[in-house]
Amino acid sequence: MSQLTAGRHPSSGPPMAVAVGGRVGATRWWRTPTARRYAFGYTLLAPAVLYVTLLVGVPFLFSLYLALSDASVGSPVAQFVGLENFKAALETSVFWVAVRNTLIFTLGAGILKGLLGTTLAFLLSQPFKGRRVVRGLIVIPFTLPIAVSVLGWKWMFDSQFSVINWALSHMGLIGGYGTDSWPVWLGQPTLALLSVMFVNVWRGFPFSAIVLMAGMTSVPPEIIDAGKVDGASFLQRFRKIIVPMIAPILFIGSAFDTVFTLSDLSVVYLLTNGGPDGATEILPTLAYRTGIAAGALGRGAAISLMLFPLLLPLIVILLRSLRRRQY
Amino acid sequence: MSQERSAETATAALNRRRFLKTTGVVVAGASLGDMLLARQAPAQTKGTTLRCISASHFVPAYDAWLDDFVKKWGEKNGVKASIDHIPGLEQPSRYAAEFAAGAGHDLIQFNGLILTGHYYQNLVDLTDMATSMEKKYGKWMEKATSAAAVNGRWYAIPDYFIAIPVLWRKDLFDSVGLGEPKTWEDLRKAARLLKPKGHPTGMQFSHCNDANHNWRALLYSFGAKETDPSGKVPALDSKETREALKFAKALFDEGMTPEVYSWDDASDNRYLASGVACWIHDAISAYRTTQDTNPKVWQSTYLVPEVSGPGGRWNVGEPTIWSIWKFSKNPTAAKELLQALKDAQKEAMGASRGYNMPFNANHYSNAMPGLADDPKLSVLQEQPKITAFFGNPGPMTPAAQEVLTTFIVPDMFTKVARGGNADDAVKWAMGEINRIYAKHKGA
Repeated sequence: MSQLTAGRHPSSGPPMAVAVGGRVGATRWWRTPTARRYAFGYTLLAPAVLYVTLLVGVPFLFSLYLALSDASVGSPVAQFVGLENFKAALETSVFWVAVRNTLIFTLGAGILKGLLGTTLAFLLSQPFKGRRVVRGLIVIPFTLPIAVSVLGWKWMFDSQFSVINWALSHMGLIGGYGTDSWPVWLGQPTLALLSVMFVNVWRGFPFSAIVLMAGMTSVPPEIIDAGKVDGASFLQRFRKIIVPMIAPILFIGSAFDTVFTLSDLSVVYLLTNGGPDGATEILPTLAYRTGIAAGALGRGAAISLMLFPLLLPLIVILLRSLRRRQY
Repeated sequence: MSQERSAETATAALNRRRFLKTTGVVVAGASLGDMLLARQAPAQTKGTTLRCISASHFVPAYDAWLDDFVKKWGEKNGVKASIDHIPGLEQPSRYAAEFAAGAGHDLIQFNGLILTGHYYQNLVDLTDMATSMEKKYGKWMEKATSAAAVNGRWYAIPDYFIAIPVLWRKDLFDSVGLGEPKTWEDLRKAARLLKPKGHPTGMQFSHCNDANHNWRALLYSFGAKETDPSGKVPALDSKETREALKFAKALFDEGMTPEVYSWDDASDNRYLASGVACWIHDAISAYRTTQDTNPKVWQSTYLVPEVSGPGGRWNVGEPTIWSIWKFSKNPTAAKELLQALKDAQKEAMGASRGYNMPFNANHYSNAMPGLADDPKLSVLQEQPKITAFFGNPGPMTPAAQEVLTTFIVPDMFTKVARGGNADDAVKWAMGEINRIYAKHKGA
């Protein structure tokens, strides 16, 4: 290890390092090219890390803190209660109904959005007159303020004035208002869950289509043409050429969509508020009502954190698949 | 001929009386308004800022009145006063955020979702003010403390409550030979007779506020209790609760359609206004909506404050109260505005078209604006005597609030209406309720 002493050049102000014993070349580690490269890299990375830490990490840790405490909206000082809040959630039947509905809602909506989004993406990839206009119109559900669009659906599902029912009735497919065959969309348990799922799909599938279309534009047409020449059918081309090539985009899109669906509070909150009798209760609505409306922050946070074990394996699987494909 | 003349005379006399009454009310109201505006806030509030927040009112004209009142009060007293309106259901999240930040509005309103029990340690003690208001405006209604006081201290000033009476169609009741309903049995009979004629009734079996009100009114009228008087011990598991559940099941089977499972707070308003419903159990907003949209139906729509059950006559109202954050930088001005609002109670009633029911006895002693001028609505002047709030007979504690917001009572009724056993439904509800109360007790 070389010894360095600080000296001052007679003609210049800043201190300089002088090698004692006449040996030159011993440089401080942070001045090595490798260290500088690292420093530069980390500096560039820092804003993103800071962003994720502040906006994701801190709220997550705060939720964890709340979930392990008896915090309520009016108590500034909370006591540590261990896993009591999680235990309390697991003991209620409403929680399990919410877990079941959340899984059905997320999986059902995810599958439907995937199917509809794919179909729409292929349709919109075909050349036809007015394609740009149609492409613009199709994203309207995704861009409309959620409160406005969901309230529109609430009217369409209204038990008395449902335009869907009136249309079906006039087509002779169901009976008139007041008859047994008149569907009560938001009142019958299965129909209610399907209805909220449908609205979520209606809002979300343009997003899936856009993601797919973005991916499909990156597939060189000559590869598709080569597949055609080799006699590959449409499904074979889709499965063997397009999907593998756009897999990274598909995975990221699916991850986003799953997170959005799993944590979607608005559709259920505005349409049914979890009713009737918990038929459409999902974890986000239960967490909101317990934690915010009822003020039991600790238990609300515990319920919302239950989404985490549901999401984590899914995201890990998606990201691992993505990594395997990249390397 | 003479009969015609006497009828004309009677009409003229009636008109004169009504004219005198109306002008009297207007003049008194205007004078009162001037008196209030003459009341000066303390000098130290001059030049200060006061921020208030309230729920968006069901009657838009009332919000306009309130905005104007706050503005004029601010101008008169040299206070830069403003008021924001948000949907009532957003109040809990807003207040949680304000409390966490230790900043926000000075004067806050709890509307329906009463969080006094949660925040009282962080709210200004208004006991002195409540006492002086009682001296000035008469006794607070019995249940006022349920919403505004904790451990005997007042942390809020009750402003008004919303009554949830029975609105019934006289023409339809007449058609099946029934008179004014007096009991829940009367209502059931009417629904049973009128449903086959295309006029069922409806009360929400869903997750909405009205479901919480309506089924509690039935429960209390059957003698069921949510808690003991201290509000600490749940008491829903009773014979009375089971009887109420069985009655609700019969009412649903005989007089309702499955629509009620999907209803929100406004669905029954539309049901009445569309001319379908034979009766509904809702606030007078339904009456006003019908008045504006279907005058023919409105003409034959009448009100009773509440009907009786085996356990008495209980209406479950929705209270609205005001509190001041302890972190408020201007509690003096906030108190002054609260006092001015209380002084202007009658004006407020008029602006709300009779929707806002006052908490103090003296406000009921004279003709009530918005109610007295409509004979059908004037029956509501007895409402305070039969009004209870959530958690009855206990106060609106945080535990009672959680039972309310998680819709356990409506869900219990829904289970039975769907064919479930009353005992099982009570057992389920008590399981959920006991867990909630145990948590709050532990905390």
